[in-house]
Amino acid sequence: MGTAFSVKDLHFRYPSSSEDTIKGINFDVVEGEIFGLLGPSGAGKSTTQKILVKLLEDYRGGIKYFGKDLKAMGHSFYEEIGVGFEVPVHFTKLTALENMQFFAGFYKSTANIQELMERVGLWEYRNMKVGEYSKGMKVRLNFVRAMLNNPRVLFLDEVTNGLDPKNARIIKDMIAEYRDQGGTVFLTTHLMNDVEQLCDRVAFCVDGNLIEVSTPRDLKLKYGKREVKVEYRDNGAIASAVFPLDGIGFNEEFQNLLKTANIETIHSGETSMEEIFIIVTGVELNEQANQAD
Amino acid sequence: MNKLTRLIRGEVKRLVKYKILPVSLATAAVWIGLFLFISAKEAREIAPLLIFVDVAAMSILLLGASHHLEKQDGTIRTMMVMPVSLGQIITAKTAASMLLAIESAVVTAAALYLIHGATFNYALLLLFVAIAGAAHAAIGFVLSLNSKDFTTMLGLLMLYMFVCTVPSILFSFGIVDAKYEWLFMISPSHSASHLISSAVRGEYQLAMIIAGCLYLTILAAALFRFAVYPKFKDNAARG
Repeated sequence: MGTAFSVKDLHFRYPSSSEDTIKGINFDVVEGEIFGLLGPSGAGKSTTQKILVKLLEDYRGGIKYFGKDLKAMGHSFYEEIGVGFEVPVHFTKLTALENMQFFAGFYKSTANIQELMERVGLWEYRNMKVGEYSKGMKVRLNFVRAMLNNPRVLFLDEVTNGLDPKNARIIKDMIAEYRDQGGTVFLTTHLMNDVEQLCDRVAFCVDGNLIEVSTPRDLKLKYGKREVKVEYRDNGAIASAVFPLDGIGFNEEFQNLLKTANIETIHSGETSMEEIFIIVTGVELNEQANQAD
Repeated sequence: MNKLTRLIRGEVKRLVKYKILPVSLATAAVWIGLFLFISAKEAREIAPLLIFVDVAAMSILLLGASHHLEKQDGTIRTMMVMPVSLGQIITAKTAASMLLAIESAVVTAAALYLIHGATFNYALLLLFVAIAGAAHAAIGFVLSLNSKDFTTMLGLLMLYMFVCTVPSILFSFGIVDAKYEWLFMISPSHSASHLISSAVRGEYQLAMIIAGCLYLTILAAALFRFAVYPKFKDNAARG
């Protein structure tokens, strides 16, 4: 596996701003992985993604795309990437199929539009104008648009935002399948459920800096409590006891409880990605969602 | 089909779907109706003004409407991540805008011939409409890219028309003395008006025509290069 993107000491400043929005970040996105970029609103996630898809070019630092300088890449770069924006990006007066056929016409290699639309449940609505689509249908069509050119790298921004659990599951399954077939995904989201289910590695972006780059598992180990919590019935009431994880196999009190009590649940002190997000970024997720709205 | 052709076809298809071309045709039909009630001499006098209004005002208005509809739909941003150049995207949009101007000229010329049997140098008119159309497409882009929504764009267009177009219309009605025409040529609207009137009326002042063509061509090139091209990408990236 190669390195899809290698980002070194990346700085970016908007012309209207007096300070850098991106303040010297470094990270690699490995080919075949789902890399999640997380962080509160205004942290620099979208700016980073816009730089990687060449919508913003006046950056400082180095970005290599499969070993080639990103700045030197021409339009052929867009043959290889698929971009799923958070907001709908379709001609509302055209039908969904007309939209997909129009965009597909610009690529050398194209996926089967019918298969993609069938998979996300939109084929039967292909002749409906996009303006008449619900928010969830537009989100699914955005995903189809991103997959149209059989991309080598897929950029997804809040890919399941606004989807019901069933359709979110379908999209996540398709992303996982794409990764399993060798595709690389750069995901920005504030939905920690997506991160837990999809990401191989995540990076937290806060105020233009990357402060953690790791796997969800390692983050959970790092920020989790090394303890085991047992809930059991004691004279009809629910009781609980907490034991240190280290040396749990030799903890007589723990073993005794397992043998004698009516155990209801046993949980390790593993923390959730949501808690890790709050610890690392210092921002509550509901506060973050309100900002995103 | 190459990518530019595909882009232009897409633009024309959307002009129809977004009802911009039908509205433009309906406007032209109103002008044709007008020709039925006036003499051939009057028709030949008024025809350049009708074509000029479509080239200098309607095409800017329709380009602005199209731009802000696409901005609202988010499609400009998604087109920026397709394997096409920014130059191709802008060229396609300019071609669509010029199509509206040429459509107006063709409909007006056809009406003049069919109703009054009046003919003139059609090739020259098309050339002048193309030059004036390109310059006004560039002006339309500048106004659209510097306005946050269609209403703001309409305000800017009104300002542009008040400064550049209205004086030219007053000139065409003889309200301003002809000796000041060289001064008026600074206005892109008046340069366009002069070229279109020359072709329809068959009255040519060579120096003014050369100056008008050169000025509008240089203005279009400068606006596209220094005002439209850099701003377009920035606008798309910011959404």
